[in-house]
Amino acid sequence: MIPSRRRLLQASAVGFGHVALSALLHSDAAAATDVRRPIPDGHHFAPRAKRVIFLFMKGGPSHIDTFDYKPLLQASDGKDSPIEKPRVQFAATGKLLASPWKFDQYGENGIPVSTLFPNVAKCVDDICFLHSCHGTNAAHGGALLKLHTGSDNFVRPSMGAWVHYGLGTENDNLPGFVTICPTLAHGGVKNWGSAFLPAEHQGVPLGVASQPSTDARVKFISNDRWSSPQQRMQLEWINQMNRRHLTDHAVEPSLEARIASFELAFRMQSDMPEAQDFSQETEATMNLYGIDEEVTSDFGRQCLLARRFAERGVRFVQVTHSDTNVQWDQHSDLKKGHDKNALEVDKPIAGLLTDLKQRGLLEDTLVLWGGEFGRTPVAQGTNGRDHNPEGFTMWMAGAGVKGGFRYGATDDFGYYAVENKMHIHDVHATLLHLLGLDHERLTYRHAGRDFRLTDVAGKVHTDILA
Amino acid sequence: MFQPYFDSTRRNDSAWSLFPVARPSVTFAATTAIVIGLSVALAHPQAGWANDPPAPPTAESGEPEVETSEPAAIEPGETVASAPDEAGLRFFETKIRPLLIDRCVGCHGEDDAESDLRLDHLSDMLAGGVSGPAVVPGKLDESLLIAAIGFQDELLQMPPDGKLPDAEIELLKEWIARGAPHPEADGSGVPAPRKSAINLEEAKKFWSFRPLSSSPVPAVQDAAWVINPIDAFVLSKLESEGLTPSRPADKRTLLRRVTYDLTGLPPTPEAIEAFLADESPDAYARVIDHLLESKEYGEHWGRHWLDIARYADSNGLDENVAHGNAWRYRDYVIRSLNQDKPLDRFLVEQMAGDLLANEELAKLHAADAEAADTAEPTERAIPTEIADLRIATGFLTLGPKVLAEADKDKMRMDIIDEQIDTIGRAFLGLTLGCARCHDHKFDPVSTADYYALAGILGSTRTMESLKTVAKWYENPIPTEADIAARRDHQAQIAQRNEKIASLIAAAKADLAAKAAAEAAEAAEAAEKAAENTNADEPAADEPAAEAVAAAKPDEAAKPEDPEALFSAETKAELQRLRDEVKALEKSPPPIPTAMGVTEEQEIADVRIHVRGSHLTLGATVPRNVPAVLAPAEPIVMPSGTSGRLEMANWMVSPENPLTPRVMANRVWRWHFGRGLVSTTDNFGILGDQPTHPELLDWLASQWTELGWSLKSMHRLILLSNTYQLGSEVVEANLAIDPDNRFRWRSDVRRLQAESIRDGMLAASGLIDGTMGGSMLHVGNYEFIFNHTSKDDTSYDTYRRSIYLPVIRNNLYDGFSLFDYSTADVVNGDRQTSTVAPQALFLLNSGLVMDAANALADRLLRDEPQDDARRVVRLYQLTLARYPETEEADAMLAFVEAFRRVAAERAAAQVAANPQPLGEGDATQSPPAEDAANPAAGTDPLRDAWVAACQGLLVCNEFHYVP
Repeated sequence: MIPSRRRLLQASAVGFGHVALSALLHSDAAAATDVRRPIPDGHHFAPRAKRVIFLFMKGGPSHIDTFDYKPLLQASDGKDSPIEKPRVQFAATGKLLASPWKFDQYGENGIPVSTLFPNVAKCVDDICFLHSCHGTNAAHGGALLKLHTGSDNFVRPSMGAWVHYGLGTENDNLPGFVTICPTLAHGGVKNWGSAFLPAEHQGVPLGVASQPSTDARVKFISNDRWSSPQQRMQLEWINQMNRRHLTDHAVEPSLEARIASFELAFRMQSDMPEAQDFSQETEATMNLYGIDEEVTSDFGRQCLLARRFAERGVRFVQVTHSDTNVQWDQHSDLKKGHDKNALEVDKPIAGLLTDLKQRGLLEDTLVLWGGEFGRTPVAQGTNGRDHNPEGFTMWMAGAGVKGGFRYGATDDFGYYAVENKMHIHDVHATLLHLLGLDHERLTYRHAGRDFRLTDVAGKVHTDILA
Repeated sequence: MFQPYFDSTRRNDSAWSLFPVARPSVTFAATTAIVIGLSVALAHPQAGWANDPPAPPTAESGEPEVETSEPAAIEPGETVASAPDEAGLRFFETKIRPLLIDRCVGCHGEDDAESDLRLDHLSDMLAGGVSGPAVVPGKLDESLLIAAIGFQDELLQMPPDGKLPDAEIELLKEWIARGAPHPEADGSGVPAPRKSAINLEEAKKFWSFRPLSSSPVPAVQDAAWVINPIDAFVLSKLESEGLTPSRPADKRTLLRRVTYDLTGLPPTPEAIEAFLADESPDAYARVIDHLLESKEYGEHWGRHWLDIARYADSNGLDENVAHGNAWRYRDYVIRSLNQDKPLDRFLVEQMAGDLLANEELAKLHAADAEAADTAEPTERAIPTEIADLRIATGFLTLGPKVLAEADKDKMRMDIIDEQIDTIGRAFLGLTLGCARCHDHKFDPVSTADYYALAGILGSTRTMESLKTVAKWYENPIPTEADIAARRDHQAQIAQRNEKIASLIAAAKADLAAKAAAEAAEAAEAAEKAAENTNADEPAADEPAAEAVAAAKPDEAAKPEDPEALFSAETKAELQRLRDEVKALEKSPPPIPTAMGVTEEQEIADVRIHVRGSHLTLGATVPRNVPAVLAPAEPIVMPSGTSGRLEMANWMVSPENPLTPRVMANRVWRWHFGRGLVSTTDNFGILGDQPTHPELLDWLASQWTELGWSLKSMHRLILLSNTYQLGSEVVEANLAIDPDNRFRWRSDVRRLQAESIRDGMLAASGLIDGTMGGSMLHVGNYEFIFNHTSKDDTSYDTYRRSIYLPVIRNNLYDGFSLFDYSTADVVNGDRQTSTVAPQALFLLNSGLVMDAANALADRLLRDEPQDDARRVVRLYQLTLARYPETEEADAMLAFVEAFRRVAAERAAAQVAANPQPLGEGDATQSPPAEDAANPAAGTDPLRDAWVAACQGLLVCNEFHYVP
């Protein structure tokens, strides 16, 4: 029994979770079953996507000003909303507010996109718009947690952690779930945490939202005191001590695993900087992401990092657009705020989609775009919009989804999702489906019951599958 | 979709046999909801719903007209009601039956009965499905049928393909408002009990719900091995399994083990030498006593309890604001453990300390009143023992909350839910939270049980304000000094007010005097004038009248500001004093407060929230403890208080076997790394069974006999032979029990996160032993993180780990990496993971480098000349042993080799950068005492020792205790 466990260990390398290490190491057989990867052969069914890049727009971008064109709203500026407002509202709102942006039609299917996203507009043939998304929480914290973990009031594993738990990673020298410049507010680490899932499934943050992406690093990835040869020498000696210690405790696999974990850490110290090193990227590529322009440089770098991690087999990469002001949260000055935000992300996102496509990565990479909710068609104050979890747009692009496709709809003013309603749970279920995972079977036994990312809900929306 | 209640694909198939489907012999309390529905039907056989004119079919008409307080049991076979009137029946047959058949019975009839609900018979409607009664005659707001067709709750909307036409909804409302007349209500209808009901009698047979057994201490073959009864229980099991216990641990190993176990710190070299030198038979017992008396004991075992209390210094979740006063609870826990406060008292204080405090304070107030001979209650100081009672209830407040929840009813229920879940897991080992939306799928806990507890917590005030960002309540705990400061402050204000008053009085008097003088002058002048003119001329009176008026300034100046007439000097002085008063009033000396609860103004039972939704309310449930655990003598819930004290007292009473079992198992888990029940927070059906059930019950009973003294419990366990086993493997045992479930040896265990940090700080000498207080960088209720994500959290201290702020959503890396509790939920069984980021932390973090630097300096200072002696000292400080020759040689070789590389690197740097790195030849200079952390390369010898020290601080042996 023990030798076979050890052989398995040797064969698998001590990853950030290629094989749930603690399962192999845990002496309790029952516990080992609990934490082992849930699906022995990798997937519940054939995957359409191998990995996910989630472009998270913190604050709640307005769907009716970007991708969900509402002619009736445009014609009803200043009028009373004929639609009843939700029972619970985040803030008081007034009359209908038409979008200050013009919409044009793009792509083979004439998909409307506002002038906020001129570059993304050119990619619509690769994009599947989900116009009927809805959530349950009207505040940022609850909505962020709902979007990232499926629950707005309980502590649950994040979707990246679930994906990593289900599929592991393709690169043992890098973390399998990376989140670049995430926000520490509104759930903070819970939005990339593993909760009760084993620790190796949690996301590894690179920097935080308050830092420029040039400073985004994995914590403790380098030592300013020792040179690499010095550290190698020190590690050899530590290994020597550990192996000697091991001979006295031969049946403790965790001791051996720990030796391996130091070796992996040492490899990561060189592989991580390599993954983050843009020096081999061409000028054309850098420009494609807008890294050459100040306004797009920061988010462009995040997107390029995402591509480089995707290339290297990282399973789930999250990129967060969030500034130190109010992000996409335009309770007032909608025009000014959304102009600025969209300008910062439009070119980098289009660059990422283009780059993924030209490298063939879009075939097996799923890109997900969206915020924690949309915004109300009625005005807050004179020129802002309140939070709207009742109906908003997210989009997917790439592996397994129909391009140039609009799915679901909100009402005539964009207030409520009404057609093919897609709850956040459904987005999760569909995302897992694309990765070859059945959201009802991807479970983890904790505190007396089997938990899922989708709780007891969630429906796969097969109409969007290519 | 609703899953079947007892899914046979689940791990524990025995669920079926434990709670057999109870058709038709359901008893009360399994499903209070149904029974309440039925009791209403019973209570009003004719009245209201058959003979009275129908109430207008509006939602309001469904308000309960009659109390539904006492649920009455329905015996099978009992009839429901007498026959309704003709008109009612005609209404049903013409309007309602066709509607039900057309719209509902397809799924809720004989063939399908979705969610266990049928609508083709009255009895089925009254009994309801998994969510509760579909029809409660006369009560629209308790009839789930109405809730479902009203589409008021996203989770309960029927029919699923779209809302019924309004006219049909109105008809159904009218029918229920009229009392749901139905031909089967003529006495022939036997209420069909709900399926999957919990059979309490069967449920009580489950091991953890049974009373504590008093199994005799078993006889064993090797009686000499037995030091105390723990060993007899353990050895008896080993012998029956064919296992041989390993040899005892050597003294050094035992000392390191017990020191880390009780204090979370490594033994000092001096303690090791003293213990080795002490050959008396009670040397070990005295070491235990000594450790139990140390303040570090409470700091370590208090931390265990904080895992259960999901202690944190910030809210986390959606709005991460500071728990500015949580530290008081943390210090209270440390204090309580160091005092060896009986555990039952400790638990009751945390559940209901505020109520105990009120009792004590009432006595003090009475004494105060007597002493002062007045009935006026005065602001008084809270003695520390009473303050501790208030602080203790922080336990209920510490949970993570959604503080920006826009739906305030939901927020209230979410907070209550978090409390129920925590209480359930912490004290009862039950996942009570599962019963919020449906009867517990595995354990015998019904939704009614859940809302019976929710009534207790709903009658408890946890929050100060629900307005975004919501604030929790805090209890005042003023000390004598605070009250004195308050009095002094009041006195300062009063003093100034007096001065103001006297200034005004004086100024007015001056004015009056002046006016009087002027008046007199004027009068005199007038008289003189009168003498000179005709006395009959009216005009002559005017100046005299003015003068008279001026002589009475109070009246004359009233319409204007009298102070306008004051002198500039007086005005300035008044202004100054008033400014001072204003400033003082704005800044009263703060009265310290502590997170914790108090009673709500309104004490009330709560209605069942169908499927957990506050939008769909069912029947009211009286406050109580879960039925399966209810004592023989029913607990009487007071009408004037929440019932927390009653609940707490019940929890630690001999009638409740769960709490002593759960607590004894926790203590075992913290000593041995694994509980006798491995699922420490779940003693339900899905939890694990105990490996040694008799031992667990013996420990639990013994503990209560020891007056719940935790320190006595420690002694009992630590002095057992079982605890003193070595970790050596007995080959023959591996085939039978490779996982050591039956405890034939000591497990080799990794230190917990705090001990890794504290151990490094202790070995290096950096540790700061200061106790208590707050180390938060922001004030109470202030944001730890706002939307800017700016991270100001500082862990820049060498205090013990228990004092580092526990910031939810952004824990200290040294904690989160090493399997610290997430501080969100009860965690009595921390995991041990091995992941590469831990190695990164050990290789590169500031903490480890600080400790390595300090340790190297300590060595170079203690042993300035002799390398070999440094090695010995280093081993003692870090691993509590001497190095073997081979080990010492290897280390010296490493130090020399590393020194050479460091020197080469320094030379290369000098060559690359002509500016000298250090003074003189760095390779030969002695360690600079005053330079705590010189740059790399300036001192290759020190570098080499720092690298060596780091090696020992991160090696496996340092991190694992056999």
